[in-house]
Amino acid sequence: MRALNIAATGMQAQQMRVEVISNNLANMSTTAYNTRRAEFADLHYQQVQRAGTVNSTTGVLLPAGVQLGLGVRASAVSMNVAQGALMQTGGELDLAIEGNGYLEVLMPNGTSSYTRDGALKRDPDGLIVTSDGFSVIPEITIPQDATGITVNANGEVYASFDDQVDDQLLGQFSLVSFSNQKGLEALGGNLYRETAASGQPVVGDPGVDGRGTFRQGYLEESSVDAVREITELIEAQRGYELNAKVITAADQMLGATTQLR
Amino acid sequence: MDNPSYVTLSRQSGLQKAMTVIANNIANMSTNGFRREGVIFAEMYAPIPGQPDTMAMTAARVRLTDMSAGPLTTTGGTFDFAIDGPGFFTIETPDGPRLTRDGAFARNIDGELVTLDGNRVLDDGGAPIFLPPDSASIAVAADGTIDADGQALGALGVVEVADPKTLIREASGLFATDDVLLPSETSRILQGRLEQSNVDPVIEMTRMIEVQRSYELGSGFADREDDRIRNLVRTLGQQV
Repeated sequence: MRALNIAATGMQAQQMRVEVISNNLANMSTTAYNTRRAEFADLHYQQVQRAGTVNSTTGVLLPAGVQLGLGVRASAVSMNVAQGALMQTGGELDLAIEGNGYLEVLMPNGTSSYTRDGALKRDPDGLIVTSDGFSVIPEITIPQDATGITVNANGEVYASFDDQVDDQLLGQFSLVSFSNQKGLEALGGNLYRETAASGQPVVGDPGVDGRGTFRQGYLEESSVDAVREITELIEAQRGYELNAKVITAADQMLGATTQLR
Repeated sequence: MDNPSYVTLSRQSGLQKAMTVIANNIANMSTNGFRREGVIFAEMYAPIPGQPDTMAMTAARVRLTDMSAGPLTTTGGTFDFAIDGPGFFTIETPDGPRLTRDGAFARNIDGELVTLDGNRVLDDGGAPIFLPPDSASIAVAADGTIDADGQALGALGVVEVADPKTLIREASGLFATDDVLLPSETSRILQGRLEQSNVDPVIEMTRMIEVQRSYELGSGFADREDDRIRNLVRTLGQQV
């Protein structure tokens, strides 16, 4: 009975959907988290009788054949790359990215990863780092005696000093864009890594070539919509139950067959 | 086997096929753009060996694809498209052009619009669609024309087939056809939305129960037919 296997693929799909939804809900308050969505596609079709074949008993051409679908598979868990809402924090090193682009982060093993989480900190030496302590590229160090930090929309970082009238330019953050953001590989910790699907990172100044700009004192909120996720969760749960019901029904049909004398 | 058994068997195997189709519909209730299927039972005449008469049997050998539209869900995704109307998106695959209603697309590293399986989406002239990676906003109008940062980039190819019954289902929501493809005049493109599966769980459940009960009825009939023959043999045996 194929229905048993088909319903099993359906249950697997709905279960995966629940897993994706629970991860979304768990990350409701994660800075700059992008909602993920599980996408499905139907499996191969078995051609029992091809359309256009001739009926052997009547000699009539069949207008439509019999094709039996064999279930469902997960085709992708796609990332919704839409901008999250901005939340005002007032932190001088809280930088929200408005529009496309990622900050480049230097990992301890020397490779680069990318993030939209702009909750930056300074380390004991004054170097600007992420919450996990990885330095942001290009590296910018804030002098010990600086009294204020200003970051403008273009990512230029200025420090003000008590004994100077003019602010001093410390450096400029760049933003990295990818031709296919959805192809980035999530590493956890709000970090992403480039893949063959995402394309090469393109580094440039904020506000140029479609790249976004910075907003100091704000953070990008998670794009998870709780109401939507809960609705999807209910749908997934019911879908799972329906597929389980198919298994019960197919089993009872099999039972009826085995009880034949 | 005698004739009643043949007739019952033809019906039982048809019901099993119907169950497979229902199971596939339910398994695909969350597949974007999925079209539910049904099985039509048809009477079939088979010759009775050694007699000029024929006997009527049943065969589930016509499939039916329900082409009615599924509900739309708002995703807000730039590369998510739904079709309001009878049209299909045209997709380039290694086996030739294919049609689909699943508008969950993405942009690949070359900047081309592709399906989630990586097949290229075609424009109204049958060419791949290139979307500049450095464009900040990509908007698609109801007529399918694509606009990247105010610059027109052609239009999504939305087509219709003269006879939807010629569509052959393939994996991943694709349809193949030998029919003539005509540009769809009445279809509208909705960006940021996706068409869900048109499977109605209530209808599928009801049909499933129906098929299951019919199947049990059929096996009950086969059982009683067996009893009848057994009694016949016993009664005839006692006469001797």
